[in-house]
Amino acid sequence: MIRRPACPLVVLSLLVAAGCGGSERMDDMVLLPVPEDPTVSFDLWFAVGSLDDPPGKEGLAYVTGQLLAQGATANNSYEEILEKLYPLAASYDVRVDKEMTTLTGRVHRDKLDEYLPLLVDAFLRPAFREDDFERVRSDALNYVRNTLRYASDEELGKAALWLDVFEGTGYAHPVQGTVAGLEAISLDDVKRFYAEHFTRDNLVIGVGGGYDDAVVERLREARASLPAGRPAARPAPEPRPLEGRRVLLVSKPGADASISFGFPIDVRRGDPDFYALWVANSWLGEHRNSSSHLYQVIREARGLNYGDYSYIEAFPEGGQRTMPPTNVGRRQQLFEVWIRTLPNEQAHFALRAAVRELAHLVDHGLTEEQFELTRSFLSKYVLHFADTTAARLGYAIDDRFYGIEGSHLENFRRRLADLTLEEVNAAIRRHLQYRNLDIAIVTGDAERLAEALASDAPSPISYAAPKPPEILAEDEEIATYPLKIPRDRIRIVPVTEIFER
Amino acid sequence: MAGRAPGRPTPGGRAAGGPMIKIVLAVLCVLGVAGAGVALAGDPAGKVFPYPVRVETLDNGLQLILIPMPSEGLVAYWSIVRTGSRDEYEPGHTGFAHFFEHMMFRGTERHPADEYNRLITRMGADANAYTTDDLTAYHLGIAKEDLETVMELEADRFQHLSYDESAFKTEAGAVYGEYRKSKMSPFFSIYEAVRETAFDRHTYGHTTMGFVEDIKAMPTMYDYSRRFFERYYRPDNVVLLIAGDIEPDRVVELARRYYGDWKPGYVPPEIPPEPEQTRERRIDVPYQGRSLPIIWIAYKNDRFRPDDRNWVASDLLASLAFGETSDLHKELVLDKQWVEFIEAEVNVNRDPGLIDIISRVKDPEKVDAVLERIDSTIARFQKELVSEKRLADLKSRLRYRFLMGLDTPDHVAASLARIVAVTGGIEAVETYYTTLEQVTREDVRQAALRLTPQRRTVAVLRGKSE
Repeated sequence: MIRRPACPLVVLSLLVAAGCGGSERMDDMVLLPVPEDPTVSFDLWFAVGSLDDPPGKEGLAYVTGQLLAQGATANNSYEEILEKLYPLAASYDVRVDKEMTTLTGRVHRDKLDEYLPLLVDAFLRPAFREDDFERVRSDALNYVRNTLRYASDEELGKAALWLDVFEGTGYAHPVQGTVAGLEAISLDDVKRFYAEHFTRDNLVIGVGGGYDDAVVERLREARASLPAGRPAARPAPEPRPLEGRRVLLVSKPGADASISFGFPIDVRRGDPDFYALWVANSWLGEHRNSSSHLYQVIREARGLNYGDYSYIEAFPEGGQRTMPPTNVGRRQQLFEVWIRTLPNEQAHFALRAAVRELAHLVDHGLTEEQFELTRSFLSKYVLHFADTTAARLGYAIDDRFYGIEGSHLENFRRRLADLTLEEVNAAIRRHLQYRNLDIAIVTGDAERLAEALASDAPSPISYAAPKPPEILAEDEEIATYPLKIPRDRIRIVPVTEIFER
Repeated sequence: MAGRAPGRPTPGGRAAGGPMIKIVLAVLCVLGVAGAGVALAGDPAGKVFPYPVRVETLDNGLQLILIPMPSEGLVAYWSIVRTGSRDEYEPGHTGFAHFFEHMMFRGTERHPADEYNRLITRMGADANAYTTDDLTAYHLGIAKEDLETVMELEADRFQHLSYDESAFKTEAGAVYGEYRKSKMSPFFSIYEAVRETAFDRHTYGHTTMGFVEDIKAMPTMYDYSRRFFERYYRPDNVVLLIAGDIEPDRVVELARRYYGDWKPGYVPPEIPPEPEQTRERRIDVPYQGRSLPIIWIAYKNDRFRPDDRNWVASDLLASLAFGETSDLHKELVLDKQWVEFIEAEVNVNRDPGLIDIISRVKDPEKVDAVLERIDSTIARFQKELVSEKRLADLKSRLRYRFLMGLDTPDHVAASLARIVAVTGGIEAVETYYTTLEQVTREDVRQAALRLTPQRRTVAVLRGKSE
């Protein structure tokens, strides 16, 4: 085991207030003092996200959030803000997710006096100028129309999966919005949305690093200046009923195949089974890690693609980051498998291989050896999840979102110590299955793939190099593994239409 | 893309570029994963770099750069091979350095791939690798008690890598998959085209990923891969950069034990020098998807030398003329809103590289007007001196940003890896910041004067945007 202080250095000063491993909590504050850190990190969480987009105005939360970080305030134009931040080597930014909007920033403490008024203005006195609005909205439109549809098939595939699972709900559209939604938004919509959701009762302020009490007081005062009130929380979305398997093919000329599949799960961070399920999922598909079993089967042994992973929590921007993001808390989660881009002619085989491995896990659970190896891996690997003050602060805010006592990561490491194989396998049986799957595939070969899937025809595979007999024998089983997807449960959507409205 | 000078701010790190610039960086910077980071430190002896550094060179030429720093038991272990796609000088072998990076995970006789993987997994390491034009980096984030095991494993695979032809061919499929996942990006398309157009002879003319024909042919190059290993994976071409909770004396002792028998014998590649460019090159880049138009202007530049005021001045010019507080940014991004973003990047390269100016244009009708505004901005910097205040603000900002990025062992190593690979040591960091302080307004003007049309490539990707 790693030899760390009983409490991480970063939270030593919190011992009295919160006990080891946790941040200090007040009703409206999450404090993470790290006196030896010469910088100060901020994470201001507003309980609002794209789930709150009014129907027909998809993208309103995103545009509103972006305008806080990329727009003028009552005291400064956006240009002036950039000018003032520049010599400070400081910044602030916003992340909008389905249920969270977070304004984050970091500055050297020597520069706090100059920085803090800018940060406070950003959420307290946004000017919502027409020119800023047009700029932010057109950037979002370009993202949905061009970048998401054309520049990364993997991100498109993942977004398509969430669309299919949550069709008709506030989780279905990308956080950035839809084309029609963004086009329908007016600046008055933004102002109303801000007034409704960016209230003092909807805000939790997170501060970490080498700050002093004056910073906390200043932020508390700023918060008090926001209007009171809290809109009624939207219920967590209900996913579409899923019986059997269904497929959404995003037809995109010239594209190789990018596959995501999964199903809703009813376990979230903080639930009793979550940590056991985490261990199981890490074994099956640890993100961007060669320890992933799916990676071993599809990439390492067969060289079909660049990587293959699975998730029990949303992991946006998975192609660009190795460690999980913070501030993307969601009350409804998916179990999700991500098969990275591969040739269209191998898509059927790869999908079968991944479903078959999932089925094996569900039917047989982990072995003692797999369990112990994964436990050993995770006990240290999670240290990399939050190795900076800003990341720890992000986790502390997420702890508030999920209502977790103490620290999620510290709780996990403690729980790992006494977790048993039986608990892990019981959690697998309770929460994972393989018969009811939602499958999204971006492909340049949609019609042929649809027919191949519907016919359940064998999908043999060949290699440029000789393979061991055990691989070839397994290939035969994979190639004929029944997926049982009727043709009427396979729909094809042209890429030009997806996320249009 | 070649990396950035130490401490260069991440373009679009603030809102200016938004998601699109992150995509540029993600696609182009490295193949694999790059660290990012932020935080700080003091100023112990008037130096910029805030932590003590111990440098040792073993008899076989292996250089150790050891940086003890507070880190709660974490250690960053980086093996930096001073070979990247720059070294792919033989026709038909583009992309091979990157491909070979993958092969380094295929095991040795002592530790076959599955055992290596199991050992690394058991210790919960954050392990990965990436390849760029001038280097290949293998990095592990580990707990300090695992240091000796990691050292034994890494020393073993760097000396005794062993794989059969079947494993070699299988990995070629994974590399082709990596190409597939990237190729849909319009930035990848234009980046590939700019490189190929800008260079006639030098190996910087191909991307780190390589030409697709060469990627497809990789399964046939098993024998070549052994030669590649013999040539470049030698102690006199590798730097071990180890930061975090370490005891330098102990690390040196372990390095001698595990790496001491590694035989030197690095064979420098025969890289053809790039002839002087004498006329402007212009290309239209096709793209099969839809995209707003992208402009990419690449000026020839000198190789990176930290004591070269011209080079450092060009680095400052890029921010002053095209950064988020530049007049051009205000005009094109904020006021007229003709472009989504504009940024400039001075590549840190071992051989003469490029200065890239990149913009995504919102209105396809405005492409020529944006090109004109970029030209007139350069012309203005060629005539006028930048204000003292703006220059001072930028110098301060660069220094601060560099320090704020040094908050974890992995961030420290990631920040230093390129400069170590390009210059062969860590001394360049202090030299760069010393030179930075010496750069004058006139130096910046002189840097602008070197941006002449005959030394550039102008590429435009006019995607069929909706």
